Amino acid sequence: MISVRNIYKSFGDLKVLKGVSTEIQQGERVVIIGPSGSGKSTMLRCMNLLEEPTYGEVWVENSLLTPIDPYLHFDVIKLSNTYKSLFSQLVAEGKSEDVAENEAIAKIKADDLLKKNEGKEYKLAIKSLEKENRIDINLARQNMGMVFQHFNLFNNLTVIQNLMLAPVELKLKTKEEAEAEAMKLLKRIGLEDKRDEYPSKLSGGQKQRIAIVRALAMNPKVMLFDEPTSALDPEMVGEVLDLIKELANEGMTMVIVTHEMGFAREVGTRVLFMDEGIIAEEGTPSQLFDNPQNERTQRFLKAVL
Amino acid sequence: MNFFQQLGTLFSTPRYWEMLMKGLGTTLMISVFAAIIGLVLGTLVAMVSIAKKSRAMAVPKFICNFYVTIIRGTPMALQLFIMVFVIFAIRGFPRELTAIIAFGINSGAYVAENIRAGILSVDIGQTEACRALGLSSTKTMTKVVIPQAIKNVIPAIGNELIALIKETSIVYMFGIYDLTMVATIIGGGNEMSSYLVPMCVAALFYLGIVYLLTFFISLIEKRLRASDKR
Repeated sequence: MISVRNIYKSFGDLKVLKGVSTEIQQGERVVIIGPSGSGKSTMLRCMNLLEEPTYGEVWVENSLLTPIDPYLHFDVIKLSNTYKSLFSQLVAEGKSEDVAENEAIAKIKADDLLKKNEGKEYKLAIKSLEKENRIDINLARQNMGMVFQHFNLFNNLTVIQNLMLAPVELKLKTKEEAEAEAMKLLKRIGLEDKRDEYPSKLSGGQKQRIAIVRALAMNPKVMLFDEPTSALDPEMVGEVLDLIKELANEGMTMVIVTHEMGFAREVGTRVLFMDEGIIAEEGTPSQLFDNPQNERTQRFLKAVL
Repeated sequence: MNFFQQLGTLFSTPRYWEMLMKGLGTTLMISVFAAIIGLVLGTLVAMVSIAKKSRAMAVPKFICNFYVTIIRGTPMALQLFIMVFVIFAIRGFPRELTAIIAFGINSGAYVAENIRAGILSVDIGQTEACRALGLSSTKTMTKVVIPQAIKNVIPAIGNELIALIKETSIVYMFGIYDLTMVATIIGGGNEMSSYLVPMCVAALFYLGIVYLLTFFISLIEKRLRASDKR
């Protein structure tokens, strides 16, 4: 469903992600845990390109969201001038073609040798790959719901307008259809009486539940949760987690960044532990929580549990 | 003649009234048209300066930045001098029009900065939430960011309009027949031979305009604030 391939992300000199790859399958509920600053939110935000990875590719349902990363495509590397000269140099040194090929590619990847201008063939190959696979990001995002730590309800719109904005503006539904659907969703979370309130009048828990159903109003195929309970007062955490659990039981594919370990264990089908910009360990909740292999995971769990 | 007698003379002489009304008309005309130019120009410049950096936007961005820097960095009176005696130094070109253009251009720079600040003051999370739903950046701007920015911008724009109206008084240096000019003419005349009364009356006129404007702005503000009553 979502495929993250070798992504790197730096903000200026700060390297936040240092080569992260993972596949998220349909129906999976992947929970990402890790210390703050480990890159887990950045990784989640790369999945719908709110953050553009510096290197690497993100694929959603076999469509490419990012530009092509030539380092991930051997056949593209082979068209580059750098490869060609390196290859002929290695062959001249008396290496067989197979060996030369592997060595040249390995060296280019290891030393980051590809330049901006690598010849016409190379450029064309990248262009055609992008033409074939790349999808409009706005289209891709329609299928990916996102829930933020700070809710981000639209302050200038009432609750029902918040839910209706995207489906109506994107012409996926008529106003009447969108309103009926929005009311259904509000009833589901028991907030139908708040339909005409502005977000500033709601509690944090109410805001977050509305933010979740706002994402659901688009009928997404996958939901991304970015620390959905971190900004909530403790007594409101439960109502939000319950709603997420409900969605989980309905089989929604989810990626959740969270600090709620109990929740992670209960809801997740797979847990990723991130530290210093890489996935340090991953496994089922019971593997990771009861029997962590990585020393950093052990230390982290000891600190938070 | 004491102050009140002079005041009586001023209000009982129809010629003085006519002059004052004409001066008021000129002041209002310059202010209103300059404000319109300023708002339109300011909005355009603000849009360019908040646009994402790209190769196509590099030149427009530079021009806008240059414009704002120059206009905000030099005195209004000097800008008016240059407009009147250099750029529009054409025989028969109406000075009122020159003044409108000069004040419009001046106001535009301040309005642009106000609008830019207003848009930047909207939480980035609002944009992110909108984009994450699949809405384009244009829709995000028009449906979510600008409606919220306007609320933050209105008080500052009001401030700028008030400053503009009062600043137009310097056009009297160029012989334009505005409220301030009228006051000096009346005061310098033989009948009055005192500047105090006509100046005070002109000041009252300015005060009246500004008061009215403030009132309308607060009305607009109140309506726009409907969504954040707590």
